[in-house]
Amino acid sequence: MQYEISLAIVMGINIIFAHSLNMITGFCGQISLGHAAFYGTGAYCSALLAKAGVPIPLCMLAAMAGAGLFGLIVGFASLRVRHDFLAITTMGVGFLFIGVVRQQDFLGGEMGVFGIPGIVDDKFLFMVIVLILAALVIALAVYLKHSWLGFAFDAIAQDEDTARTVGIGVARYKLTAFVIGTALAGLAGALYAHYVKFIGIDSFGFVESVTVLSMVIVGGIGSIWGVTIVSAVLSVLPLWLQFVSDYKLLLYGLLLFFVMRFSPDGLDGLIRWIYRRIAATIGRPAVADAE
Amino acid sequence: MIFVELILQGLIQGSIYALIAVGLTLVYGLLRILHIAHAALFTLGAYLGLLITNATGSLALGFLVAMVVVGVTGIAIYRFCYHAVLDQPPHVALIASVGLFIAMEEGFRLIWGPTSISFSEPPWQTAVVVAGIQVKTADLITIPLAFLLIGGLAAIVAFTRIGLAWRATVTDPAMAGSFGIDALKVRYLNFFLGSALAAAAGVMFAILTNFVEPTMGGVPSYKALAIIVLGGLGNVRGTLIAALMLGVIESFGTIYLGWAMDRDAIAFAFLILVLMVRPQGLFVRS
Amino acid sequence: MTRGSLLLTAGLAVLFAATASAAESVKIGMNLPQTGIGAADGKSVLTAAQIAVDEVNADGGVNGKPVELVVYDDQTSPKFSVPVATKLIEKDQVPIAISGSYSGATRAAAGVFQAAGVPYISAYAVHPDITRAGDLVFRTSFVGEVLGRAGAHLVGKQLGKKRAVVTVMKNDYGKSLARGFKEVAAKFGIEIVNEYEYSLKDRQFGPIVSKIKADNPDIIYDTGYWFVAAPLVSQLRGGGVNAPVVGQEGYDGQKFIEIAGAAADGVMITTSLDRDSTVPKIKAFMDEFEKRAGYKADMVGASAHVAVNVAVAALRKAGSLDGKAIQAALQQTKYEGVTGKIRFNEIGEAYKVVQVQVVRDGGWHHHSVITDAKLLTPPLN
Repeated sequence: MQYEISLAIVMGINIIFAHSLNMITGFCGQISLGHAAFYGTGAYCSALLAKAGVPIPLCMLAAMAGAGLFGLIVGFASLRVRHDFLAITTMGVGFLFIGVVRQQDFLGGEMGVFGIPGIVDDKFLFMVIVLILAALVIALAVYLKHSWLGFAFDAIAQDEDTARTVGIGVARYKLTAFVIGTALAGLAGALYAHYVKFIGIDSFGFVESVTVLSMVIVGGIGSIWGVTIVSAVLSVLPLWLQFVSDYKLLLYGLLLFFVMRFSPDGLDGLIRWIYRRIAATIGRPAVADAE
Repeated sequence: MIFVELILQGLIQGSIYALIAVGLTLVYGLLRILHIAHAALFTLGAYLGLLITNATGSLALGFLVAMVVVGVTGIAIYRFCYHAVLDQPPHVALIASVGLFIAMEEGFRLIWGPTSISFSEPPWQTAVVVAGIQVKTADLITIPLAFLLIGGLAAIVAFTRIGLAWRATVTDPAMAGSFGIDALKVRYLNFFLGSALAAAAGVMFAILTNFVEPTMGGVPSYKALAIIVLGGLGNVRGTLIAALMLGVIESFGTIYLGWAMDRDAIAFAFLILVLMVRPQGLFVRS
Repeated sequence: MTRGSLLLTAGLAVLFAATASAAESVKIGMNLPQTGIGAADGKSVLTAAQIAVDEVNADGGVNGKPVELVVYDDQTSPKFSVPVATKLIEKDQVPIAISGSYSGATRAAAGVFQAAGVPYISAYAVHPDITRAGDLVFRTSFVGEVLGRAGAHLVGKQLGKKRAVVTVMKNDYGKSLARGFKEVAAKFGIEIVNEYEYSLKDRQFGPIVSKIKADNPDIIYDTGYWFVAAPLVSQLRGGGVNAPVVGQEGYDGQKFIEIAGAAADGVMITTSLDRDSTVPKIKAFMDEFEKRAGYKADMVGASAHVAVNVAVAALRKAGSLDGKAIQAALQQTKYEGVTGKIRFNEIGEAYKVVQVQVVRDGGWHHHSVITDAKLLTPPLN
């Protein structure tokens, strides 16, 4: 049972992380290739404060604030650039984060931060906390999507210029998306730090940014349940697949490739397609794509 | 003296980056796609060049085979990966490219092993003294080689029919199509040339470090992405200059900025700095 | 009985026998790099560990039961070594585990094993904090500082060089070695002219080579792994820097020589395996290793062989699978294996002599042995 609890914790943390990116990329259409930097910011903030004796709930709030602040700064940068420039800029942010932390010994440097205290001693209780937080994040995502904020995000994602002409304060909304998304990434990072009790810059690099982006895209950008399922599965897949351990990265790469090639809307798109085919076969007129 | 040496080191490094970045900017200029899988072509070029040279003793053959095979592979990647998703939003091609990149790197590992391979008789290793600086022949060859290859590419683009067709397609695809220019042929040429250059970069890198392993493509290629933005997406000359500039900045930065950030971050710090001041890059797109 | 129920019974019997015999073996967990940058070392570790296990099983196993290795890939990264450790503890429930991986991964995993009450042996990872994770963590190879000190002894006392440049690989391993070197450098009359750092991902060292050339030292002490050191040394020679290079066990292995080529000639390292040893046990191991792996034995393989044997000795002595009993047994263990005699101090650090090897005729060979007890005594805190 112990092992399954560990898996559940990993899944929960990744669900939060993936949804945090979904809000930026999915809801608001901005491609970020450096999201792990905010995950890392949250992890380091919480870890270092906790080691300095600050009570853990405060550490985690600080983590979210720190990541959100960083997100605000990057968000401002994103206002000046668009699309592919943005992708590479966010990639640069990711590398910059790693590059700077790596050189500062007070941040752990190359060796990382050890001996991070856990949130609670009981692993089962920790799992419950993580899963509750994950559920709250999902609820937030659902709420956002159907709120005015979500409507504005969607407009911006579809066509930024038109949104502007309709009077949507594009800049304000982009920044809001960035801050919410990065703050939540910080939360995920903090949970991660208190779970593994050791963090090193290795865990927050380009690979991690690409991984979480793939979870969002394979799930279906903007799709809440698609992202939830895919992030949960992909996060523990390598552990489950130890028997194909040697081929797991290859399978992962091929998965990304084939999903994009044949179902660009991800899992969400695939399920909708299947639904439409079934509806067509039964003879009923295809129902309009509801949310 | 040390300054001159650092500049030379920077130009050598920059030449390699240039050879990789040109292929990337060609693809972007034509299709607006970030061709991440390009990194794997660099690695493939290194592997083929090294293995052929080891097997036949001829470096020239190694270069030739590497460039041709990788050029064709580049075309294949276009055909099987990008062609079908051209009308999708850009993130689709991006992630497909990433998936392909990861799969190819793993493929290299599974075929040729996870550890490095080396030349049995490393070529161009003789020491040469130039203006008081001692270097290996390989170092000296890198810069002119890059200029030669990129210059050759520029010549093809400027002076041949297919080059004309390419320029037309980049400037105005619809118009070019109405003149009967075969967009597909242009794209194939584009991918072939860009990939061949990356392969040459790979072989050169292998000669400089005598160390070829499956993940070697990642880091140089991420920097190449920063370079194409700096150089102006689609602008070959701008990319070349940006690449050389970055090589030199990195060279000095490694020594003098090492306290603040590591080597790889320097490229991106420079990029972000520039973009904040000039969001369209250093050079406007040609 | 019907055919069906006969088949079912047979099937159940086989299943029972399988699970029963599986439950019968004593498992030793291992985390090592099977993919990624350390894969070559991981292969040496696995080969040597398997040799040790086969020898032990031929010798009756542990208290009558065969020994079985449970191996997972950690890619030398703490990112993976932590979930791997968790898996070994919770899913495979190993009574003891060995790290066949680098310092970063080992350090992270050590904390997990200590917290779970499972003894953990670091085969060759050098960072001091590994054993400081707790009383359950032991190390069968040198701690970083000791190896660094030995390097200073070689440079200053044995080779008599005064002006040195230190090049440091920026990670647990490289930094702890550099610390050890600098700690006693003055004592051996060494002046450190300059110090440079590089990342374990670097392969092109142009700027550093230029600066070292300007420094013009008598000798260079480097703390990198073979895959960064080989290009570094090659580029140093290519750039006209001819000062001798002293490395450490991170260079140990044929690959360094393969990549650096002629530049490797004359490079010296402080390590634990003597290729020219005439001790029958050591020669037998080296022959068997070369037969199975296809290349010559190296330090990481030898260290893994020692670690497995030490684990087995402790398991036998403890007579049970209880963590505390194994820990007590390990504390008392004295073992003589392919890296010489070994015994542990109160915090689980090993004491043993240092082999100095030098590259000659395309291979590693005996240069000298450092036995200065005071120098080599591992720190107690």
